[in-house]
Formats: sequence, C-alpha cells, structure tokens
Amino acid sequence: MSEKVLSPRGSSGPRVPSWLHPSNAGVVYAFAALVVVLSLATASAGRPAYVSPTNVSNILDQTALLGILVVTSTIVLISGNFDLSVGSVAALGAATCLALMPSIGFYGAFLAALAAGAAIGLFNGLVVQYVGINAFIVTLGTLTAVRGLVLIITDGRTVTAAEGADRDALRALDGSRWVTPNLYLLAGLVLLAVGAWRLWSRRSQGDVWRRPVLLLPLVAGVALLAASPVAVFTIRLSQRALYMLVLVAVAAWILRYTTVGRRLYATGGNAEAARLSGVAVDRYRVMAFVLNGTAAAFVGVLYASRLGSINPTGLSGFELTALAAAILGGTSLFGGLGSVAKSLVGALILVTLANGFNILNLGANYQGLIEGVVLIVAAGMYTVALRRKQRATLRSTEPPVPSPHPGDEPAAHAEPVAAGAGTGRP
Amino acid sequence: MKDGTTAEVLLELRGVTKQFPNGTKALRGVDLAVRRGAVHGLVGANGAGKSTLIKCVSGVQPVSDGTISWDGEVRTWKDPGDAQGAGLATIHQHVPLVPTLSALENVFLWRRGPWRRTAEMRAEFERLVERLGYEIDPDVQVASLPIGTRQMIAILQSLALGAQLVIMDEPTASLSEAERRIVLDAVQRLAADGTTFVFISHFLDEILEITDHVTVLRDGRAILDEPTATLTEERLVQAIAGRELLAVERAGGPAPAGAEVVLDVQELNAPVGVRDVSFQVRAGEIVGLAGLLGSGRSEILDGIFGADTKATGTVRVAGRRLRRNPRAAVAAGCAYVPEDRVSQGLHPDQPLWKNISLPDLGRRSLRRLLPREDAERELARRAIADLGIVASGPDALPSELSGGNAQKVVFAKWLYADKVVWLLDEPTAGVDVGAKAEILQLVRRLAAEGRAVVIACSDFEELLSVATRVLVVRGGRVVDDLDARETTEEQLIMLAHGLGAGSREVVHV
Repeated sequence: MSEKVLSPRGSSGPRVPSWLHPSNAGVVYAFAALVVVLSLATASAGRPAYVSPTNVSNILDQTALLGILVVTSTIVLISGNFDLSVGSVAALGAATCLALMPSIGFYGAFLAALAAGAAIGLFNGLVVQYVGINAFIVTLGTLTAVRGLVLIITDGRTVTAAEGADRDALRALDGSRWVTPNLYLLAGLVLLAVGAWRLWSRRSQGDVWRRPVLLLPLVAGVALLAASPVAVFTIRLSQRALYMLVLVAVAAWILRYTTVGRRLYATGGNAEAARLSGVAVDRYRVMAFVLNGTAAAFVGVLYASRLGSINPTGLSGFELTALAAAILGGTSLFGGLGSVAKSLVGALILVTLANGFNILNLGANYQGLIEGVVLIVAAGMYTVALRRKQRATLRSTEPPVPSPHPGDEPAAHAEPVAAGAGTGRP
Repeated sequence: MKDGTTAEVLLELRGVTKQFPNGTKALRGVDLAVRRGAVHGLVGANGAGKSTLIKCVSGVQPVSDGTISWDGEVRTWKDPGDAQGAGLATIHQHVPLVPTLSALENVFLWRRGPWRRTAEMRAEFERLVERLGYEIDPDVQVASLPIGTRQMIAILQSLALGAQLVIMDEPTASLSEAERRIVLDAVQRLAADGTTFVFISHFLDEILEITDHVTVLRDGRAILDEPTATLTEERLVQAIAGRELLAVERAGGPAPAGAEVVLDVQELNAPVGVRDVSFQVRAGEIVGLAGLLGSGRSEILDGIFGADTKATGTVRVAGRRLRRNPRAAVAAGCAYVPEDRVSQGLHPDQPLWKNISLPDLGRRSLRRLLPREDAERELARRAIADLGIVASGPDALPSELSGGNAQKVVFAKWLYADKVVWLLDEPTAGVDVGAKAEILQLVRRLAAEGRAVVIACSDFEELLSVATRVLVVRGGRVVDDLDARETTEEQLIMLAHGLGAGSREVVHV
C-alpha cells in the first residue's frame, strides 16, 4: 500500500525544479528584478548600460568583503547561533596585522591576525556552548570588548603600513586582477556539460529526448556557444572577489554534499535530537564560531591591504550588514535553515542597491531608508511563506474534515492529505 | 466536614464531554459533585482525562457537551479569569509564580487597581498566613524558596483572590516528605475553615488520608465515586487500572541465565534524582522500569545514555566502559528512543531519509565524508516497508506523520545501525492502539535477536506484556527487582505508589 503513495519522481510533464521555485529562490528573483529596474532606470536616464562589464566587476569587488563574512555568518546562523562580533574582529585582524608587521614581517603578522580572529571565535563559542550564555549577549560583549582592544592596539590612531617589502606583500594579498574568459562561452559550456551529465545519468530511462530538463540546457548551451564569437562579456575579477567566489563554492559544497554539512543542519534544526543521535553538537557550534572569527580577521587584513592602513573605528557596523544579507537570503535566525549561495545573493542585493543609487545620482540620503524597507519586506515575505507552508502541513496532518473549499489546496500538499485519509487513523 | 453528604453542592458536572478537533475523546460524560467544605480527591492513570477535566472546569477549554454548575447555577466560563472571578482557583503542578518578585507581591499579583497599597497588602498577608497556619516571610524572593513553600504561596494567592474552591493538580508530586506533610496539613486546615478543595494526586496514601470523597477517572469516565471512608487501597487500585488484572499476555520466557551481560550499570547517580542505581541486562532480556511520573525512570535512561552529562557512575556495554556522552554511547552500540519524540527524537522539518540515516551517517557515507543520498533514500524506503510507516515516501516530513508513525521513524533511526543496547523511554506514549501493538512487537523482536532492551513505561500492563524482568523505581532508586511472569499489574501499582511490600499477596478480583 505504501508503494502506491511513494512520490512519483520525475514522472509528470515540465515542472519547475524545486530550487527554482519562488519560495526557495525568492532572493534570486528579487535580485534579478532589482537589476532589471536599475537597467531600465539607467537606460531611460541616458547613461551607459547598467549591466556593463565594468559595473559588474565593480559590484563583485564591492561585495567581496561583505560576501566573505556573509558566508561564515550564515554558517553560524545555520548551526543555531548568532555572531555580532565580526565587525570588531575584522578591525582587530587589520590592526594586529599592521601593528605586528614592522617587527615580525608580513607573513607572521598575517598568521597572527588570523589566529587572533580564531581565538575570539573560540572564546565566543566556548562561552556560548559550555557556559550557556545566550550568543546574542556574548557576541554583543565581544563586539564592544574587541573594539576596545583595537583602540588599545592602535592607541586610538590610524595605523599605516610603512612602504617596503612587507607593504608589498600585504598589497599582493589583494593586488592582482583576473580577466575572465568570455562569460557567454563559459555559460554555454557549463550548460552543455549539465545537459550531457543529465543525459548520461538517465540514459537507461527511455524517451529522454523529450524531457525539458535535458533539452533546455542543451539548446541554451548550443545557442550561447554559437553567439559567443559575436557577443563578448568579460569581467575583471579582483583578487578579493575571487576569494569570495571560491569560499562560497567550497562552503556551499561542504554544506550540501558532506556529512559535515548534514550534521551542521541537524545541529541547527534540532540540537537536542542531533545530540541524542550522536552528533557532536557542541563541537560543530564552536567550530562555526572559530571559522567566522578567522574569516572576519581575513576580511580585516584584505581591507587593510588595499588602504595600507586601519582606522580604529573602521569596519564598524559590518556585522549588521552581514546579518541583513543573510536574512535577505532566507537564513533562519533560529538555525537549521539557510544557504550560503542565497546569502551571497542577499549581499549582492544590498551592494547593488547602493551602487544603483550612486549611478543614478539619487541622493544617498534615501539609501538607508530603502535598504531597511527591503530587509523588512523580505523577512515579512519569508515569514508569511513559512506560515503558509506550516498551515498546509497542519491541514494535511489533521484527519479529513469536510473542507469548504475542496479545490483550494496547492497540488504539492495534496499527497499527504490523500495518504492520511486512506490509512492514517482508524 | 465529615457530614459531607448533607452539605450543599458547590460545583457540579453533568455529562461533561470533551472531544478534541482531531477526534480524540478525552472526556465521555463525566458526572461529578463537589460539596462545599470538602476535600474531593480525583485520581486516575496518566491519560485518564484528569488534566482535561481540570482545564474544562477552570475555563481553559470549553466543554463539548454537558453542563458545569457553580453554586447551583449553570455557568460557561469565557476564560480562566472568569472562573477565577467567580471563586474557582486552580493551582497547576508547575506553580506559575513570578520568581523575581517577593512572596507578598506574588500573593497579590492579580490585584487590580493602579496603586500598590503595601500596608494594606501586608495586613491581609498576615491574616491569610494565619488562616493557612504556615509562616512565610512576605519579603523573601520566590526564586529562593523550595517548591513546597511555593505551593503555599500559590494557595495564598488563590485565597487572596477569594477562592471558594481550590483545584490542586498533583501538588505533592515533586515534594520531599516534610514539605508534603506541610501542604497536606494546610489543605486540611483550610478545609476545616470552609474552603473547598479538589485534590489530584498519584499518591493513594495521601488521597485516603485527607480526602472526604474520591472520584476515579478512567478513559474519560468517572468509574468510581464514593466517600473515602468506604474505600480501601485495593479497591482504588483496581478502579484505576480498571481491567481484569489477572490475564495479561506475556512475552516469551526470560533470557537464558547464561546469556552474556550486554549492559552493566553500576552506582549510577544523577543530581536530577537518580540514586545508586545498579543493574545488569543480558542479551535477549527486556528489562522494564516501572515507576510513576517523576520517579526517576526517565532520568535513569538519560544517565545510562550519557544524555545527562551530570550523571556519575559506571556504564559498560559489552564489557567496555562508556564515556559519559551520547556520542560515545552511540558509538559503543546504544540506541535511544527519547520520551519526547518531537523535541528530542526527530528533525520535524527534514525529510524522513535524513532523519533515519542521521545516527549512522558516518558509516553510511563514502570515506565517512560524502553521504550517499540514493542509498539513504533506499534505506528510508526499506524502513517504511519494514515498519509499515504510513508516509508518502522517503521525502515526507516527520511533522506530517501521526504519532505512531513518527515513533516508528525514531525506531528506524537505530534499527539499521547494529545497536546492541536499546534504551526506550515511553515508546508508546501518544501512539494509537494499532501502532502500539506493532511497536511492542518490534521491541520483542529486538530482544529475540539478542539485543538488550531497557524500557520505561507508565502503563504497567503494557510493561508486563513486553518485559522479562521489571525493576520498580521510586524516588530515583531501584526498590525491587521482579520476574515479569510472576508479577501482576496490581502489585506493580502498589509498589510504585509505595504501598505494600514486594512479597505481599495479591488480592484477586
């Protein structure tokens, strides 16, 4: 009997894959809509095209530092905790690096900066997990205390790196740029590869050629390849943007495809159930903090590498922007839910908003208001969507009662209703 | 107060029925009459409907059918405040006081009006304390008081509200002997003074001691309703258990005496209430922990599994000593089915296949790092088929499943992981009859395949039907070790309640 209700996988006609469904990828659509609006606005104002190679390069470069922090902050959030201290820890990383450089050279100073960041993260994690103080309070404390530490290290003044070999080494950390190959060509190749992989993995199922999941990437890939000699779109990736993209890719892969990721989501989703299933919940949560602290210190050093100096109040408020981006990306503040890629798109939205305001010459005065409204609207949409989903689940688990609107429920939730009605209760 | 029969009826229930939206009938036509100035005992097994009855009477939930009369008038409470205003106060087991405020402020917490008239409040506090016959410092902070004294403050609170009837839900469940005495004395003293009490308790000795009239609930019905003077312990026990207690389906014989000792617990102690617990479980044995709510049976399981990190003592699995944390226990071959499956056993928002593979994820993954999702889905399909889980497939969410099916998922988490020791805490709680039988069958099969099982269960009939040996737990100690085949449910109930001795002859029905 249970055979009958097994969900039919990939049986019915063209269906949007779940990761493209608006409830799962809302932030991506929001970003696309924002880009379209900005493109139209710049076009109608008679300015150069918004989605130009230069501007895309700029946006990626401007997102990089925030993007790195968003990734690790999202990991902390998924583990079911909260880290407010990253802005201060980034400043500490920069200050440590610049202050130690004259005495121990760049590489020693760089490692010391990372170690300082990791140590703050470890402190946060140990206090939260083993003393049992709420993460919000602990990291609010380190936010303030570490900023104080930065003031002590810098003696309240801006620290500047002296020119020389160490300054050059610091600059080299974020110095070069990498020109991508034609992105149309690249996208075409990727799509072809995806199509080929799907074709190969489903070769045993007959009649594969009519499936849109196979046909779409293949056709689009061929089209892009054909167009690539004419249409050229290359961007200059800064080194920091590259760091960000690599980090996102690695983090996304670990979270999605490894036991580490699986256990991290289990930890955040229901810490007690995870613990009783033998997951080292404490260790995962502490490690998330350590990672976040280390990444923050790295971000601080990157920040200093371009400027060659650190102001003791620099990078203030960064933690809140990172949290805002993670929330835009649909990360739950209660843990167990979130994706680093979507959080990164959230960061891109924030940066694109600021960038668009600049390009359109709309007074920067409006920027904060708009950003705040966008954040609240996004969070509101996630909350409403979640509640609707829960209500649908609730409805489907209750015993069948005569419903006033029988055709009301979305098809996706109809299955459990049918299953429950048939066999659920005596 | 002894001539309770002639006194007027203060609270009367006629045919009170309560049906929940999901179809469960918690009350099936209860009649109850509480006379003014009486102490009315209300007893029944867990799930008999006591809590629901209190909720209906005190206005927390509306009744589905039937009437509640208060002081001769049929009333329908809008909310608990409405009932309170009429003079009906309820003291719940976990006393809802504000721990950061003083005793005085808590007693007059619900006083209306914009001003705090402290002098007046103090004077009234003194009067109330005198009525109660128990001295409390009005300025002491409630957080610093023991639970027994908090009960007294809760009583004062209801008196300050002008309550004529006070409902007390298991007021003595978590009290020490001395504190218990104080609460019982206070109730008797106030009753003599004219306050009426409905007193709910699992301790039959105190029910027999302080009540004037007893109502026994079973399966949502008032099964017995008599003056206390005419009752005996035996009759109470039989009314609570309610069945012909003699014929109980039993599991197969005990494990062979020569079987290997798989689980060895020595001197287990825990601050939450486990004292010097030592026992051994052989392969193929099912050891039942019989105890009342709060007796420490769950805490013993927590201690063995290492879920309670403050527990001390030695636990050996197949001769190897366990480190005190769940991860070590799982690695050594322990499976744990927790009491609260929703908050402790499952990830309600993750698909079944992720839930089922979690405890054994490392071993099932490539190089312990890369999960094989297809194999995990296959495992979930196998579990669904093996255990008869009603679900739409491996991608269903546990939050969509009924209680029994969700519990089977918790079993499935461990079933394919080669665990040798199974620790089961109330595995059939909140599970419908059909699933209950299947789960018990599964437990027997686990033992038959040579595993060691420890099971805690508040339904003693069920416990006897599945266990080969029963340990009686009271006050965090194992007070008796019985052969399940030679033990009756009645005996267990008495031992768990602290009545009678282990050797006591069972009174046959």
